[in-house]
Amino acid sequence: MTDTNAVIRRQFLGHVATAPAGIGLMHLLAGESARAEDENAPKADWSPGMGKTHHAPKAKRVLQIFCPGAASHMDLWEHKPSLEKHHGKPLPGEGEFFSFQGKNGNLMRSPWDFVPCGESGKRITSMLPGMAQHVDDIAFFHAMHSKSNTHGPGCIFMNSGHPLEGFPSAGAWTSYALGSLNENLPAYVAITDLRGEPPNGKANWSNGFLPARHQAIMMSDQKQIRNLQRPDSIGEAEERDARSLLNQLNQKYAAANPGESDLRARIAAYELGGRMQLSAPEVSELSRESAATHKLYGTQDENRLKAAYARNCLLARRLLERDVRYVSLYCASRASGVDGLLNWDAHKTLKADYERHCPIFDQPTAALLSDLKQSGLLKDTLVLWATEFGRMPTHQDGTAGRDHNPDGFTCWMMGAGVKGGVSYGATDEFGRRAEVNPTTVWDFYATVLHLLGFDHERLTWYHNGLDRRLTDVHGNVISEVLA
Amino acid sequence: MRHCLTTILLIILCVTCTADEKLDFAADVVPILQEHCLRCHSSNNRKGDVSLETVNDLRDGDYLVAGKPEESHLIELIAGVDDEPPEMPKEGKPLSKEQVDVIRQWIEGGADWPEDLVVREKSRADESWWSLQPLTPPEDGRTIDTYIDAVLKREKLQRNPHASRAELIRRATYDLTGLPPTPEEVEQFVNSDDPEAWPKLIDRLLESPHYGERWGRHWLDVVRFGESNGFERNVIYKDAWPFRDYVIRSINEDKPFNTFIREHLAGDVFGKDDPQVAVGTVFLVAGPYDDVGNQDPVQKAQIRANTIDEMIRASGEAFLGLTIGCSRCHDHKFDPIRQEDYYSFYATFSGVSHGSAPLVTPQQRDERNAALTPLEKQLSELQTQQKQLSDAIVGRGQNRLAEHQAVWTRPAVDPTGTEDTFDPVAAKFVRLVCEAQDTNPASRSGFGIGEFEVWSAGDNSRNVALASNGGKASGDARIIEDFPGAYGPQLAIDGRTGARFIARGSDLTIELAEVTSINRVFFFSSGKEETRRFRFVAEYRIEVSTDGMSWHTVTSSADRKPIAGDQFQRHRLLLREATSKEQTQLRDLKRKIAAVKATISKVPTLPTAWIGKRSADDAKGPFYIFEGGSPQKKGREVVPASLSALQNQGAGYRLEAAAAESVRRQALADWIVHPTNPLTPRVLANRLWHYHFGTGIVDTPSDLGYMGGRPTHPALLDYLARRLLDHGWKLKPLHREIMLSRTYQQSSANRPEAAKADADARLLWRFPPRRLSAEEIRDTLLDVAGLLTHRGAKAKGPVPDGGPGFRLYRFMQDNVCTYAPLDKHGPETYRRAVYHQNARASVVDLMTDFDQPDCTFSAPRRAETTTPLQALTMLNHSFTMDVSVALAKRLEKESGPTVRKQIQRACQLCYGRAATLEELKSCEEYATKHGMPSLCRVLLNTSELIYVR
Repeated sequence: MTDTNAVIRRQFLGHVATAPAGIGLMHLLAGESARAEDENAPKADWSPGMGKTHHAPKAKRVLQIFCPGAASHMDLWEHKPSLEKHHGKPLPGEGEFFSFQGKNGNLMRSPWDFVPCGESGKRITSMLPGMAQHVDDIAFFHAMHSKSNTHGPGCIFMNSGHPLEGFPSAGAWTSYALGSLNENLPAYVAITDLRGEPPNGKANWSNGFLPARHQAIMMSDQKQIRNLQRPDSIGEAEERDARSLLNQLNQKYAAANPGESDLRARIAAYELGGRMQLSAPEVSELSRESAATHKLYGTQDENRLKAAYARNCLLARRLLERDVRYVSLYCASRASGVDGLLNWDAHKTLKADYERHCPIFDQPTAALLSDLKQSGLLKDTLVLWATEFGRMPTHQDGTAGRDHNPDGFTCWMMGAGVKGGVSYGATDEFGRRAEVNPTTVWDFYATVLHLLGFDHERLTWYHNGLDRRLTDVHGNVISEVLA
Repeated sequence: MRHCLTTILLIILCVTCTADEKLDFAADVVPILQEHCLRCHSSNNRKGDVSLETVNDLRDGDYLVAGKPEESHLIELIAGVDDEPPEMPKEGKPLSKEQVDVIRQWIEGGADWPEDLVVREKSRADESWWSLQPLTPPEDGRTIDTYIDAVLKREKLQRNPHASRAELIRRATYDLTGLPPTPEEVEQFVNSDDPEAWPKLIDRLLESPHYGERWGRHWLDVVRFGESNGFERNVIYKDAWPFRDYVIRSINEDKPFNTFIREHLAGDVFGKDDPQVAVGTVFLVAGPYDDVGNQDPVQKAQIRANTIDEMIRASGEAFLGLTIGCSRCHDHKFDPIRQEDYYSFYATFSGVSHGSAPLVTPQQRDERNAALTPLEKQLSELQTQQKQLSDAIVGRGQNRLAEHQAVWTRPAVDPTGTEDTFDPVAAKFVRLVCEAQDTNPASRSGFGIGEFEVWSAGDNSRNVALASNGGKASGDARIIEDFPGAYGPQLAIDGRTGARFIARGSDLTIELAEVTSINRVFFFSSGKEETRRFRFVAEYRIEVSTDGMSWHTVTSSADRKPIAGDQFQRHRLLLREATSKEQTQLRDLKRKIAAVKATISKVPTLPTAWIGKRSADDAKGPFYIFEGGSPQKKGREVVPASLSALQNQGAGYRLEAAAAESVRRQALADWIVHPTNPLTPRVLANRLWHYHFGTGIVDTPSDLGYMGGRPTHPALLDYLARRLLDHGWKLKPLHREIMLSRTYQQSSANRPEAAKADADARLLWRFPPRRLSAEEIRDTLLDVAGLLTHRGAKAKGPVPDGGPGFRLYRFMQDNVCTYAPLDKHGPETYRRAVYHQNARASVVDLMTDFDQPDCTFSAPRRAETTTPLQALTMLNHSFTMDVSVALAKRLEKESGPTVRKQIQRACQLCYGRAATLEELKSCEEYATKHGMPSLCRVLLNTSELIYVR
């Protein structure tokens, strides 16, 4: 931001801040909504949205990196030597079997070698040299399994704990549970990929039946938050006068109707909106980062998809360091007419597809993690990596790709409160099914909520007949991954 | 039909133990099992492979030794061994000593378990739950106000005094029409000395067609009406809007709700040839469903079960106020709804699936057939002639096949690599022109080009087409709106396989860096290493040019063998063998055929609607409960039937498994609105109350079960339900009665001492003020600016502005659909928001910001939140700017050039009151400095505009 802007910003803040700066506004909003939340939230020892937790938290904020399209566990994270040994032979025990797109062929080895990484010597694919540096800090969940083998329901299951639409995403639950740490920015941000939205689009960051303020605000390096800028036709002085008059009229109406907290909340909302107008563009000013940082992330890469994702990674870090509670960062998008073109859905041409996707993902993600670690943010930031399900150990009949596999896949977490260098659970010898310590999406989120300071069974909201939870009626905290 | 209960459903059987006269299995043992064991040991949740619903697992697993409790493992588990705490129950308190003794006694007595007795976990509420009881009989002399006042008095509270007339007309007009009263209406009402002014106002509003738009919107919330299928593809339902019009029309016409509900469930049965009735069944399929398709049979069955589940939930919640969906995997934990009940509904809806179907009268169908028949005859004659002629030509060609083949010296085109060499030629431009595509010789587009290489002649030949060598590619490509260039021509010269140009036109042109002598091209749709095959050219020519204007062909596929497939050889022969006369004839026929087809396409198609499809095959029984909700685990058989919890209310039914699909839905519909079913009128009366007062007598309008709220005024609720029945299920008389009450007409003023006792005014010591809904806010903005179409006198007929909906988003489809909110709202969007085509999982600025729910679920009540995003949207979206300009224009037109008068008019329009002196002063000062549109922008953002008191 230039100096002139800074001056304007100060003036503006001075003007709008009729409430004591920095405190109270969001709480006023939260208080206003408390009526609805009193009815729907559990009658318990905890009140939503005020930063209180059930127990001492390890994580204050969450970064979720999502690779939609079902990123293959056995080609990225979970080494399966047996696939190499039995390449071209039938998968034992399954016979001729059909999955999402139809018939499956014989076992197919990963096109790339798996190389030992870090001190733990854990093997991951040679296609992710950047991520290899972080393996010692990661807790892998190798025995995830899903209820759906279809991208859309799979994605929202991974994000909301329900394969049907209409449920709040984990980010919305976090916003509801904890509220905001920074009044000048949204509590929950979804950063979509240049290639478009993931399968099932906005349902992935929906507030579901929670109040609207818990939905994610969409933004990315390529797309600013909507309606953030005042219209071109309104001048600066005019805007100041307009806000002043509006405030005066709204104050009068609130005074004429004493005791109506929502009228006061509305005045606060306009003040907060004004602050957000100043803070949000500043977050997006990537030019304020050093050349070395840009180089680390790869924001100038000649591959425009990689450069765009790298810029989004950098944006994610800037959001996190400004205390946005939950950032969902997408690498790839939906199913187009061509499988595996826009996302990790390598049905037919695994090698070509992942040689396109891995380089986009690897350097920027690794840079983001290094940056978080180096700056100390990782101490209280929980990083999640997720995809909606895995892929088959066999090739799809007549192709060199793999079909959907909801029965086994990998997710991982690192950062606040997470033990590094852990591999929890495993699929069978070939990667077909979760076998050792099968882990559900609910277990995954029970663990996430635990790290955020919540007992997942007590974080509820009444909706159409039930006290709903992120973990439905399931979920166990996986203590093996806790530091 | 009477519900005849089979014995296995009975929990409470009076069976007496033979060994010990004192122990009654059903009365003594069963409750222990229900309370402590069944949660983890039922057929749906068989922890440790043990279910205690029957004795089988206990016997098979050797947990019991009849007559010998001390040798029975079961006793060790529940009593503990050697003072260790007992192993079971795993969760919750151990059994008391008395309870263990009962079990011990039972084993001692022989561990008899009466045959056919199935123990079921008990729900929290049973058949005696309040909402399942018959409506209480009416009491003489009671009115809405006496019911309300009695409770207020009990709580030592008092009703507020009457609201002002200005408040009342604004309140009633928004309540019944969702729009503000005009300044003239306000003035007239406020100044009227007619003692009947209030009832007359209500009558006028109830007769306004805007009433149906407002209350229709409420109902659309309840029935989760949405116009896209959600899930991954989220494709728009193009023809679901007739249902929205049907709802508005029915409500405006005050159609009795029992008829209305019956039409929702079985309108296609009751009104077979009447589109106005059949359209009601859009309800069944108006929800989201997964249409991606799945080759995995287990997943496929699950998806179908999810689709039917959605219909069951929607019906149970909308009409009965019961969360029947909660008994999908097990008996309802809270309400007396059994898993059998759920699967009876499942059987009822099993023949219904999503889709469009013609929605027409027999007459419309006949008319179209009459218009089409001669045209189709004409078309088929022409096509026969065309076929005969081309057969003759091709036949001749076949006879001379050897001669033709002699020319086809080169191999057929190869989609993984096709090469052409030619004499060196100077070229600045090289163009591939498709003459037939390899899946359809009649098409010249749709082919993919992974790489197109152009090689320079002479030594050190290099691919001069490459972008890195200065090449530029152009060509009409398939487009993904939100990912430009996904299939663009640049992909054909990037030196990489994997992504490709996909043609929408017939050619791909490469411009070289400079005029170059070239002698070879090489191109393909999929690289050799790619197993996926993309469409490619079957016939082509390569042209070059030095100026981009005049082109000449350097090579073509004419001397190649045709690609495999009769149609391609046929295509080739037709091209080469036809005489010029025949070519003229063929062209002529082609033109005529196109002309007839064009005429056919102009015959109006039959109107369709998203009423779903019916399939007798899908509906074929027998049906079973799915244990744990899994279609792979079939349990007991079920038949279509009414809810067992209401079996004693008189109208229950139970159909044969073979009953027709239509009969099942008809029976359900009739049962739901049967006069002895207490739920439906209660639910409906409560919804009415909810919309008038902001909160229902039960504050969970779609859940009158255990997990829902309890009625604040149970007697009033029953009174209203009875009144509804008295009025023949018509809503308008009930609105009238509610709005004529003093309770409704009281002021909304807040009194701290009353608020202390009842902050939300659930007991109605004041009229609860409210914020306008998203739809009302948008409609109000348009209305005060005079932009709203079909308003006031221009609103005619029961559906003033029906037809296909408008969109505030850009709809993009590339296999799946994406919805991007619009930055600019054109005049075609100046319609009431009820006519917006609401897509699922889309976010639409103002509408979403102000709590319009995602229509994925039924929304029995709306949230009312306040967020900074609302402020940002209302201040900054171009919609506010456009409305501000329009409002300013209106003010000038109606009040002349004086700013002060304009401001006075603005206050009347926006707030229904005169401006105060202070307002006039500050607004005038502002408007003089920044202009009237800028002032309007401020006024449109004021709280007073969007609150109703």
